[in-house]
Amino acid sequence: MSGRYLGRKFTQALVTIVAIVILMFLMFRLMPGSPDRALGRNPNLTPEVIAAARARWGLDKPLIPDQLVAYITSTATGDLGYSIFYRGQPVTDVVGQSVGPTVLLVGLGEIVAIVIGLLIGAYAGWRRGGVVDRIGNGASLVLYSMPYFVIGMPLIIIFAAGLHWFPTSGMISPAAESGPFSGYLIDLGRHLVLPLTAVSLGLLGAYSILMRAAIIETRAEDYVTTARAKGLTESRILRAHAFPNALLPMVTLIAINLGYVIAGAITAEIVFNWPGLGTLTIEALNARDYPVLQGIFLLVAVSVVLANFMADIVYGFLDPRVRV
Amino acid sequence: MSASLRARLGRVAIAAGLVASTILPAAGAVRAADPVVLRVGTTQDLDSTNPWQTYLVVGYEVFQLTYNLLTEFDKDAKPAPGFAESWDRAPDKVTFHIRQGMKWSDGQTADSADVCYTWGLAMAAIKDDTNVGAGYLDPNIKDAGVTKVECPDANTFIAYTTDQSDRIYQVYVPILPKHIFGKDDYKKIADEKFNAPLVGTGPYILKEWKTGQFTRFVRNPNYWGTQGLADEVEIHFYKTSDTMVQALKANELDYAHGVNPDQFNQLKTDPAYGTTVGKANGWTQLAFNTYGTGTGKTIKGGGPSTTALKDTAFRDALGYAVDKKTLVDRVLGGYGDVGTTNVPPVLKDWHVEPDKPRTFDIEKAKSLLDAAGYKLDANGKRLDKDNKPIKLRLDMPDSDENYPKAAQFIKEWYGQLGIDVTTQVMTSAALGTLILPPPDAQAKYDIELWGWAGNPDPNALLQIFRCDAIGGTSDSQYCNKDFDALYDEQLKESGDTRKATLAKIQNLIYDEAPYDILFYDSNLDVWRTDKFAGWQNMPSDGTPMFTYGTLDYTLLTDAKAQPSAAPSAAPGAASGEPSAAASSAPSTTGGNTSSSGTNTILIVVVALLVVLAIAAVLLMNRRRTGRIEEE
Repeated sequence: MSGRYLGRKFTQALVTIVAIVILMFLMFRLMPGSPDRALGRNPNLTPEVIAAARARWGLDKPLIPDQLVAYITSTATGDLGYSIFYRGQPVTDVVGQSVGPTVLLVGLGEIVAIVIGLLIGAYAGWRRGGVVDRIGNGASLVLYSMPYFVIGMPLIIIFAAGLHWFPTSGMISPAAESGPFSGYLIDLGRHLVLPLTAVSLGLLGAYSILMRAAIIETRAEDYVTTARAKGLTESRILRAHAFPNALLPMVTLIAINLGYVIAGAITAEIVFNWPGLGTLTIEALNARDYPVLQGIFLLVAVSVVLANFMADIVYGFLDPRVRV
Repeated sequence: MSASLRARLGRVAIAAGLVASTILPAAGAVRAADPVVLRVGTTQDLDSTNPWQTYLVVGYEVFQLTYNLLTEFDKDAKPAPGFAESWDRAPDKVTFHIRQGMKWSDGQTADSADVCYTWGLAMAAIKDDTNVGAGYLDPNIKDAGVTKVECPDANTFIAYTTDQSDRIYQVYVPILPKHIFGKDDYKKIADEKFNAPLVGTGPYILKEWKTGQFTRFVRNPNYWGTQGLADEVEIHFYKTSDTMVQALKANELDYAHGVNPDQFNQLKTDPAYGTTVGKANGWTQLAFNTYGTGTGKTIKGGGPSTTALKDTAFRDALGYAVDKKTLVDRVLGGYGDVGTTNVPPVLKDWHVEPDKPRTFDIEKAKSLLDAAGYKLDANGKRLDKDNKPIKLRLDMPDSDENYPKAAQFIKEWYGQLGIDVTTQVMTSAALGTLILPPPDAQAKYDIELWGWAGNPDPNALLQIFRCDAIGGTSDSQYCNKDFDALYDEQLKESGDTRKATLAKIQNLIYDEAPYDILFYDSNLDVWRTDKFAGWQNMPSDGTPMFTYGTLDYTLLTDAKAQPSAAPSAAPGAASGEPSAAASSAPSTTGGNTSSSGTNTILIVVVALLVVLAIAAVLLMNRRRTGRIEEE
């Protein structure tokens, strides 16, 4: 892979991030409504207090250039400001607390969905019209079109409220929080099962459907016919020839999806009361918590850009034609 | 499938089984030494543990568990001993006697110095004509007319005021430990983090706060009052009431605050749950944009879309077109009260019903409009006095699912008068800004559908109608010098004299109709009866928790210790309030609720049928396409 190819991709990524930072600042301020009017309806509030709050949050200064310049300089130094809703807490803390839970839930969900989805898709595509294809593809289509809360709510009703196998919601019990580490892990595991199942099921469909299509395409390729003529077993052809080649279009999908791991699965997080970035986003939106919103969107934007950058590099390795 | 693959799958299955066996059986296993935990759920998320900074009911609950007010509330929401054990009233001052030998949870002595410090913060802010932090707490002291505070000795605190009202005993200012925050002035205290663990004098001390998830409180061994049964209290925050109710059913919660009418109806017939309909100290209203009334001012490119809104006769006529009983029944599921005056009935000492109530009568509304000079045009549309068809913009926040439902009824009823209504839902932040007059915004709206919640004293809910509230809290842009004069008058009065003035005020606002108060909301709360008993509504038409004070947290008893042979008469439970649960008997099943089990099975069966149907359709579809491809 040439250094030029790498350099060009890197510059592209960097420019995108800078553009996003500026656009984001402007976008949020174009939204109607100001945080000082979102903070509850206090019948006691005097104009002086409102003015003081505005000054505290820097809302009293002109948008451009004062607020913009202050925002860019502090962002560049890693200071994302203070949350308006969680009064006084630094944005890095508020957002930081939510990154872990989201990466754990959606990241694991992606991995499970990728592994199972690709296997089902590959097998279904290879044995097109077979039982696995009919059931797998049908189920994939249904799951693909289902939002997380439609998958999640029945899971809660059956396995948590009905059978009491798992907790209904949350990430950790307060008791386990202060207990021994092994107890913490078991408690976390119990809380993770249902949301992880919902997220994996929701993501699985896309992978399986795409993989099935890719395998069907490769099945007609000459090298598959050649392999068959050489007398290889069907399973070996699938594993050694068709599967790796069908994986190529998957790389893009996986890379983009991995970028969105950070963005979380908002509806899944809300149904399961999972303290991740998805729920934080909704909360920050309602409170017009600009600093937190900016923090989240910056994180999401950077991770999507980085994931795409990685995809470009991986693609460069996998497919020599793009390295021009 | 090859043999090796099968073997591999077998190994995976065994591994999965091992993981499951460590994860699964933990459910419900309680060891003897486990602390008794009271688990409470709410759909609000805690914003701050700093009492001066919280805007939310849940924030009040957190600081009231940890700290004491100078005077607390008893179960009828009347003044009760708190940080002060007793008090004497003189014409110009109230002398509070602080408890002897009281200790903070860290063992330090708690005395009048702590009160002087905390009230002093508010006094300093009042002197500077500003507020402390969010500005919710200190106005309580200002409203009580306190001019000076002093602490002549460790057990005496004196507040100077000529105000003879009860407001001095309803001051929502938690007494903070001076030995911890003493260095802070009123500006600095607003920035304090109040990181857990805190130090307080309340029954349960905040030990831990997991942002967006829960707070955990531990028993305060130094608490001066009755020690509660629970060793720990947890308050869990939920994003939706659906999840909260499932958690209650799964025995992960003992109490759920704020469920919706459907969930409430489902649970109230189940003996495993106690329920209550608590009257809320607040309402949902239509606020008419009357900008310019009394002042004659207009806003270029903004303000109300028609001059009719400034006309009392017009607003009065609209009042006859709203069937509030229907709103309560259809929007609130029957759980609420028809709205009338701007002092909610829950403030029993001050609420009056209007002298000239409007009853739902569309024909009367039409004739009143005709009489006031608002004629119909050829198309049946109502014209204002500029001969312009009246088209009203109704805006509401997205914070309550009931608002759009109510708006649909309003639209329908006003439509029958020949008045078109366009409705729009927006975020609270957007609406809060939209309604502001210049210089902040253009007050470009006609009707705002929103609500308010008040204090134990009606003052807070009155001042939103003052002329000087325009640009601040006013959402009707209403200005009437007579009202302002009456407001100032009642501020100085107490007892029956004040009630008489408040009656005038309520009738004035009702007759002038800058607001049409649609209904007084209610809080629907549900609790399990298998672990704790002794739930009491505080006051009797309120709820056990998320109310005035935190008395109920210490009054709960062990449900299992009660005789289970008398299921219909559980002693001490919900004290026989008509609105409370019919039966609060302890459940003998200990967690598994039979009737909700039937529901679960029903839902599962329906869900399975739907999935099977979809699968069948897809399968048939695939077969057909498969055949076509083969042809």
